[in-house]
Amino acid sequence: MATAAATQALEPSAVRFRPSARGWALRLAVLVAIFGGLLLRIATLPGFWNFRIALAAIYAIIGLSLNVVLGYVGQVSLGHHGFVGISAFIAAAYATNGANCTIEGGCSLGAFAAALVIAIAAGALSAGVLGLVALRIKGLYLALITLSFGFMAERTIFEIPSLTRGGAGMPAPRPDGFVSDTAYAFLCIAFLALVLFVDWRLLKTKAGRAVLSIKHSEPVAASYGINVTAYKVLAFALSGAFAGLAGGLFAFHAQNVVSNNFQFQVALLWVLMVLIGGLGNRTGVVIGSVFIALFPSLVELINPLEHFVATTLERPIDYVTLVLGALLALVTLIRFPGGIAEQIWPLTNWLRGNRFALHPEGHQRKAKSPHGIKALLHRLKHRGAS
Amino acid sequence: MALLEVRNLGIRFGGLVALDDVSIDVPEWEIVGLIGPNGAGKTTLFNCVMGLYTPNSGTVTFRGKDIGLLPTHRRVALGLGRTFQNIGLVKGLTVLENMLVAQHPRIGYSALSGMLGGLRSFSEERRLRVNALEVLDFMGIAHLADARLEGLPYGTLKLVEIATVLATDPQVLLLDEPSSGMGPEEAHALGERLLELRKELSLTMLMIEHHVPLVVGVCDYVYVLNFGQILTQGKPRAVQQHPEVIRAYLGGEAEVVEDKLAHEPTPEQEESAADAPA
Repeated sequence: MATAAATQALEPSAVRFRPSARGWALRLAVLVAIFGGLLLRIATLPGFWNFRIALAAIYAIIGLSLNVVLGYVGQVSLGHHGFVGISAFIAAAYATNGANCTIEGGCSLGAFAAALVIAIAAGALSAGVLGLVALRIKGLYLALITLSFGFMAERTIFEIPSLTRGGAGMPAPRPDGFVSDTAYAFLCIAFLALVLFVDWRLLKTKAGRAVLSIKHSEPVAASYGINVTAYKVLAFALSGAFAGLAGGLFAFHAQNVVSNNFQFQVALLWVLMVLIGGLGNRTGVVIGSVFIALFPSLVELINPLEHFVATTLERPIDYVTLVLGALLALVTLIRFPGGIAEQIWPLTNWLRGNRFALHPEGHQRKAKSPHGIKALLHRLKHRGAS
Repeated sequence: MALLEVRNLGIRFGGLVALDDVSIDVPEWEIVGLIGPNGAGKTTLFNCVMGLYTPNSGTVTFRGKDIGLLPTHRRVALGLGRTFQNIGLVKGLTVLENMLVAQHPRIGYSALSGMLGGLRSFSEERRLRVNALEVLDFMGIAHLADARLEGLPYGTLKLVEIATVLATDPQVLLLDEPSSGMGPEEAHALGERLLELRKELSLTMLMIEHHVPLVVGVCDYVYVLNFGQILTQGKPRAVQQHPEVIRAYLGGEAEVVEDKLAHEPTPEQEESAADAPA
């Protein structure tokens, strides 16, 4: 019987590979080396770099936020700059007007924490409302709705003088103890770790499984006893909470929030960086986001390139990122659909305690048949074999 | 009073009357068959019972309680479990992960505490795994726990799906063509398993099925649907020889029919419009 044969073929997977104690120790050592090395390097970098690294950590949180919508729910949000921006302005407004923080006088840790909580709540609330819309509208039309929401936020909410002080911006002084760029970068990295933890637990517990099954099929999810409505809204609200946290951190990072920071082009860039990183894969998304956030600094490192962009093209360096993002997204979609995540799969898979392999089990590589001069050489070489 | 009662159910899609005044009783402990030609409305009836469609008229009662207004997930929590014609499993997940999804309504920790790493979620997840493996073992497919769904044969996927529905802890099982994609021997084994399930778990079943030997061998009572109406009902043997049934299935006269009926090929993809777990 076909069933019996297939069952036999699958038998080996019944005995799951578990690394030995030494294997685990080796994996732990590699993990510690990677993260320890990174953190050590960040700690010893000049302050200018750490300003960028804090931004990279914030971008990574935004990437993970978008990943919930794009990767887990399977819908496109082009209005994330709205959620991040609203939260950033509200956090800054609270710090300045509510808690009387000033650049000279500083800001207490309590006020900072309260501002972040408010930012998270604002993000979750505004994205939750979008989630309610998403119950009815999907795909292209939802993308359009999010796009209009983003523009609406840009043109109305970000222009409210009491919230944004017009073009001058709303100040958000960094909290005591985290005023230096390096300290603030580590604070942002700590929050990134927190978001990664929540994202990890999300997928390992019932909410994540519910969201993934809803993405696959709503009738099937409902027939497993899953409240489709509630979990869809929950997913959007969670994405908004992450975006809100990122917005709050962004406010205190820039120390002065202006609406120019939240224009449509960043929302686009954020979608691209998640795509490049690998939809639904948190490691890939973090790497993609960090890469996009740090890319302007990389351009600045290469003097001729910077010179070319600044004087010949007369464009800000951020525009290079957008062009590069679009190109990389194109390459990802056509050639490497799994994004960065797929490229680093051998490493992440091994670290997770599996046997080392270059490709997932069942992965089929296209047999490359040699052609042209290569084919001739190949035939000459293997003449005797056949 | 029957465990699950469908009374005067009617539903229209535009001008098409998919179900018209359909009444069905599923008494406790019985396996009730639902047969009929393609497009008769069998899967539509399942969708109405599960709350995926809202009927235009009629009631659905479970344990004497009208469940007509409850959303699907509440009906599942009450004890209705359902399989899909085209396999309602979450692709991209392993068999075991599907079993974890299916245990959703019985999970003790809240969604929020799970996300925030509540201690209870860790211990409960371990328990869910043990439960899942037990059910898979019961269905004889524990060795497939870590297998991905892609590449598993259709008949095996049907078994996996039944296992996942069992994991939702149902009292009534609604099976939509459980034997499709199976050969005669596998279908026979499935029949044995369904009877065993009823004995071990005291399950009640309503089953859409085309494979006549399975219907005759397992069902206590059979309803025949045709063009959205109940054509006839009764014991499987009697229904099998009913001239109206033979006409509905074969469109011909009632001659030499028993053999023909038994050998009719199993239509696998009927009513694709009515049932779409995309």
